[in-house]
Formats: sequence, C-alpha cells, structure tokens
Amino acid sequence: MKRHRLLIDRILVCIALLALWQLASWYFGVYWVSTPRLTIVKFYNSMMSGEMLRHAGYTIEEAFIGAVIGAVPAIILPFTLRRLPGWVSVIDPFMVGGYGAPKLALAPLFILWFGIGIESKIALVASVVFFIEYFSTLSGVRSLDAKLVQMAQLVGANERQVARHIVFPGAVPNIFAGLRIALPYGIGAAVIAELISSNRGLGYLVQIGAMNFDITQVFAAILGATFVVLAVGWFVDETEKFLLRWRPPADSLMEQIHT
Amino acid sequence: MTAPLLEIRNLGKRFASRQGREAATWVIQGLSFSVPDGEFLTIIGPSGSGKSTLLNMIAQIDVASDGEILFNGDNIGVLDQKSLKPGLDRRVGYVTQDDNLLPWRTTLDNVLFPLEVQGRLDDKARARAESLIKAVGLSGYEKYYPHELSGGMRKRTSLIRTLVYDPPVILMDEPFAAVDAQTRTQLQEDLLRLWEMGRKTIIFVTHDIAEAVALGDRTLVLTKQPTRIASEHKIPFGRPRNVKDIFALPGFAQVYESIRAEIQ
Amino acid sequence: MTAANDVVSSAAPAGPLISQRALIILGRCVFAGLLLWAWQWSANEFGIIFFAPPLAVVQRLYEMAISGEMFFDVWATLRISMVGFVIALVAGLILPFLLRLSARLTEAVEPFILWSQGIPKYALAPWLILWFGIGDTPKIVIVVLMVFYVIFITTFAGIRAVDRRLINMARIMGANETVISREVIWKSMQPFFYAGLKVALPRAVGACIVGEFLVSTQGVGYYIEHSRELSDTVGVFAGIVLATTLVLVINMIVEKMEKAALAWRPVDRT
Repeated sequence: MKRHRLLIDRILVCIALLALWQLASWYFGVYWVSTPRLTIVKFYNSMMSGEMLRHAGYTIEEAFIGAVIGAVPAIILPFTLRRLPGWVSVIDPFMVGGYGAPKLALAPLFILWFGIGIESKIALVASVVFFIEYFSTLSGVRSLDAKLVQMAQLVGANERQVARHIVFPGAVPNIFAGLRIALPYGIGAAVIAELISSNRGLGYLVQIGAMNFDITQVFAAILGATFVVLAVGWFVDETEKFLLRWRPPADSLMEQIHT
Repeated sequence: MTAPLLEIRNLGKRFASRQGREAATWVIQGLSFSVPDGEFLTIIGPSGSGKSTLLNMIAQIDVASDGEILFNGDNIGVLDQKSLKPGLDRRVGYVTQDDNLLPWRTTLDNVLFPLEVQGRLDDKARARAESLIKAVGLSGYEKYYPHELSGGMRKRTSLIRTLVYDPPVILMDEPFAAVDAQTRTQLQEDLLRLWEMGRKTIIFVTHDIAEAVALGDRTLVLTKQPTRIASEHKIPFGRPRNVKDIFALPGFAQVYESIRAEIQ
Repeated sequence: MTAANDVVSSAAPAGPLISQRALIILGRCVFAGLLLWAWQWSANEFGIIFFAPPLAVVQRLYEMAISGEMFFDVWATLRISMVGFVIALVAGLILPFLLRLSARLTEAVEPFILWSQGIPKYALAPWLILWFGIGDTPKIVIVVLMVFYVIFITTFAGIRAVDRRLINMARIMGANETVISREVIWKSMQPFFYAGLKVALPRAVGACIVGEFLVSTQGVGYYIEHSRELSDTVGVFAGIVLATTLVLVINMIVEKMEKAALAWRPVDRT
C-alpha cells in the first residue's frame, strides 16, 4: 500500500519534471531548449545508427584505461608502504597537495604534451583517479584492526599471509568507496578534455552540436554521457555488493558527496 | 492518605508486527501502579519486558495504546502521536541509559543546557549548576568535552543535567548499566546523596536486583511479555543508606531471594 | 581524507622519536628536491616547448605579480567562484531543511536528485555559452551546479544522521523546535557541513577555472588556455602553479575553520 503510493508519487514527480522541460522549450523556443521528445528521438536514432555508441565507446575507453593506470598504483602503494609509516609521512604532504590540486586545470598541459588524441584524456583521467584512490586505500589500510592482525600472527600467519587474508579484505570497502567517487569523476574528466579539444567522444559530440546550434544534439549527447556515468556507478555498486556480502549494509550517503 | 503524585491505570502498549501480517502483539497490558510524592521507586524486570517503553510513555515520547496515566490526578495518558508533550512541561525528567550528552558542549554547558532552553539561565541557576558539579566531584572538569570524560563522569553529568532544572518526577532507565561495578557503586552513592538533598520522586528501572534493593523504598517486579506487575516488595532499610554495606544488613538476603524467585 | 600528519603527531613524546621526526622532514626535503630535479631534467630532455624549466616559471610568476596581471586574473577567478559558491551554498542548505518538512516529498524526489547528479555538468557549458553568451553567467551557472550537489547531499545526510535520542532529550527538557533546529540539528550537522565545504570550496574554484578554459577573456583558467593556444608553455606552467596554489590556500583556510569549529570532536578521527 505504502510502496504503491511512493511509486505513484515518483511517477508524478517524473511527469512534472518532463512537463517543466516541455514548458521551458515552448517558452524559450526549441532553438534554445530542445523538447523532451526531440531529445529522446535524437538519442534513439543516434543509438540505432551506432554514432552514439561509437562516441560513448571512445569516452569509456579513455576513462577505463585512465582509471586502470591511475588506480592500480594508487591501490598498490599503500599496501607496499604499510610496514613503512615513515615513508608514508614523507610523501604525505605531496599527496595531500596532489589530492587538493585542481587536476582539471592540467587538461591544457596534457593536450600540449600528448596532442588531441586519446592519450591526453587518459593522462587526465589517471591523474584524477590516482589521488582519490590513494587516500581511500590508505585510510582502509590504516583503519585496519590491529587485533585481527595479532590474531593472525598468533595462529602462525606470515607477513604475506597477513597482507593477503587480513589487510586486503579489510581495505576492500575503502578501495570501492574510492572507485565509487573516482570513476564517475574520471568520466567527467574525459568529457571535459573532449570538450576542450578533441575529434571524438561524447564531449566532442556536445561541442559539435553547440557549434552547429543543434541543441537537440547537445541534449542527446549529455543524456548519453549521463547514462554512461550512472551505468558505471551502478556497475561499481553491484560489484561491491557482490564482493562485500559479508558486510552489514551501511548508509553510503557520505561517500556520494564527492561525485 | 494523600493522592499519589503519579498513577498508572491499566496501561497497555501494542506494537504492530512487521508487514502487518500477524496480529499486533501486546508488549504491556493491564499494568497498574501508583507512586506517592517523594518516593524512590525501583522497577525490576527481565530484559525485553518493555521497561523502556513504560518510561517512554510516562515521559510522553511514546503513545500508550490503552489505559490512563494520571499526574496529580489529571489524565495525561496520550493515545495519539501528535498531542504528545515530551517531558510534560518539564514536570518529568528522564535520565536514559545512554548519557545523550551533546558532544559539542562542555560539561558545564551540558549541565546548563536545560536551563538555557527553558530561558531560566540566571546567576542563581549557574550557582546551582556549579554546586551540583561540585557535589558529584566534577569540579575541574567543567571545560571538558564529553569525549574527554570517563564513562562514570559522563553518567554523573547526565544525572545532574536533569537534577539541575528540578523536575518533580525523575525517570531513570538503567542509568548505570554500562559502567563497571566499582564505578556503579560510587554512582549509586552519589545518586542517593543527591536524592537525600531534595527527595524528588524517582522511578528507577534496572535489571540488577541488588541495585533495586539498595536504592529503592519499594520495588516492583514486572512479568515477561505482556508486561504487568508481578509483585511488590517494601524495602525494609532506613535512610540514609550506605550502598557499600547494604549486603551485610539483616533482611537483605531475604528480600533479594524473594525478588529473584519472582523473576524466574 | 586529510590523512596528513597522523603518523607524526601520534608519535610525539619520547626522545628517539624526535630524531625520527627530523628524518621525516629531511625525507620530505629530499623528495621535494627530487621532484624539482625531475622537473628540470624533463625540461632539458623534452625541450622548452613541452616542459617549462622551473626557473622560467618562477620568473614568469614574478613578472605576472609585478605587472599586476596575476592579481587581476586571480580576482576574476575568485569573484566568479565565490558568487557561484554562495548561491549554491544558500540553495544547498535551505532545500534539505525544506524537504525535512515532508517525508513523502523527500522520498518522491530523492531518486531524481541522485540521478541528476550523474549529469556531467561541464558538458552543459557549450549550451550555456550559446544561451548566455561569453559573460560571467555561464561560468557562474557551472560553479553553482558543481557546488550545489555537494552541499545539498552533505546537508541532507547531516540532517538524517542527527541522533533522535538527542532530539528527544532536548524536547523533554523543554526545548522548542527552533531551539532544537539551532542547538541540536545544526550543531550535530557541523562535521557533515565542513566535509561538504572542504570538497565544495576548492571545487568551486576548479569549476570556475574549467569554465574559463571554455569561455573567457580573463581569469587563471583563461591564462592557461590562452598560453596553450599561443604555445607558451611557460605560461601554461605558471598558470597551473598559480591555480594549484590558489586551491591549496583555500583548502588550508577551510581546514583551519573546521578545526576551530569542531574542537569538541575526538582527535582520532579519520
């Protein structure tokens, strides 16, 4: 009964939002604000012709390669330095600085270095993902329960086994919390780099649409990019849920503030 | 004989079961007792016997499903959520099991909190807060935040935070359950000393028989669900009492044993 | 996520630890030196077209400061960021408090708010530029969009996380709803609020700089992008150093504010 009402409420909100969009389009003119119908038709046609998928594919490829290049060292580093807290403190100010620095401001630099192809986007995504993932993993390794390590050592586990069976599983939630933030952000970074300078990708699709004063195209491309971000978020969530079956469910609102 | 300050008549509480599949179950049913002014009443019951629910209803943060609660002869038992008056216009104080101190306020500011929100913060009120802080041995800790205090100190702060605004009835829900035995004895002595100073009406819920006997003028024993009164025990000791030596008093073993037999 | 200094500060008192602290500081200096050397080496190796040497960058920054161009650009960036930030802050704080009044409405709009978070906000820039022209407005809108969600979600989560028992306690003691909002809800929200602020303020500046890449005639972002178009690598580097410094200084200010406001919290927080 109550579920039913909620569903109806949400459908009503959805209709209201679409109506608002439609009204805006009438008020400002289709030239400035495309209609929901035109946008969805354009999106559908673009999907059917393969154009949308091709550009989305480029963006996903950039984001994926960049995320791997950024995340792998970011995850390995805290584990490597676990027994060397001195080294962690040595690099700490530099990492904090790198975390706080506006990586997106590096986009022109990467374009300068690597050209307008895929390499510059990969570099930007990697630089964004690296710092977020490093601090997430580090906090996971640090918050490790010392008693569990002691217990493992008492039953005769060696250093490698402690890392494999205690430290790593304990840090998995943090690794995923980091990915949950870093991956959507990485896709955003790829799109921005494409906006600034590119010849393909969803950001390019938006930019071309704007240059041709084709607002429907702009909206359809943004819709496509939104789907990609949501799909990646969903994928990370599902993977985490599967890997963390042992964990009681927790509220993850705080983790979403970075996205 | 004067009319009781607080009277519970035929009180009942029912919770709807999950998803509403089965019939609602009565947690408390047909519960009646009365408390005269100035009595220290202890209530003891098995875990899950709805002791907190009972106090929540008296404090008016939860609705009753049935029956009446009379305060000074007026029916205050409330059957719908919207007309609840938590604390009954400051006439009912409530010391809960968790200290519920505001973590961003220092000891002193926590004690002053009720006076502040009631708009009664003057020099006299401050002096009273200071004297209570002194009485429980928290002098020197006025500027500490809750996380910097020990568990026992937090309990004391939470206790005097309720005493400071002087409600005629004070409900206590296992306030000393989460501290070690030695600290608990100390806290019990503190409580009795403070109570001797003003002789407020106290309803003190616990699951510790020795505590119920050591503190109370009278002890009520509750049944398992649905909860009602199983028996009533007069505590045969005079005041002031020495909590530490209570076990050695003649008659202690007898009261203790008869309550223990009731609980099983 | 400020993991800074935990290890150092937690190991303070005894004698030999002081030398360990000195070692760490020495290590940091060596590391900084290494980075600088790598920078210089790259400049020699790849040439000035790709890598501006550190000294040239310092000199450029000095020239920018002398000519006043630096302050002009920084001010342009800060002005847009702050206008956008304030608008987003007000909206992001008020909306959750309004939603608190109706649980039903909150539940109904929640998924849409979460989904709309997925929109890559920067992608709206070309459209906003078409619409508003190349003035301040498109940049302000971008900053507002980037900041709003952070504030909104942290405030929302903060209100939700308030301990019901504290509210009950305050009610029993005779506090009215206004007092409860101010003394209990607002106060216990502070950690969330500052967590949001720490993300939001640097992000406002970052968003403004990206906005300036896409459309501008002034600001730090404009300086970087303009230099790139002129193949002025020293300019690109100088601009990035300036942007990074600006954001890091803002970070520091927020951290100081947080520390002062949250003195009541235990120090061993993550």
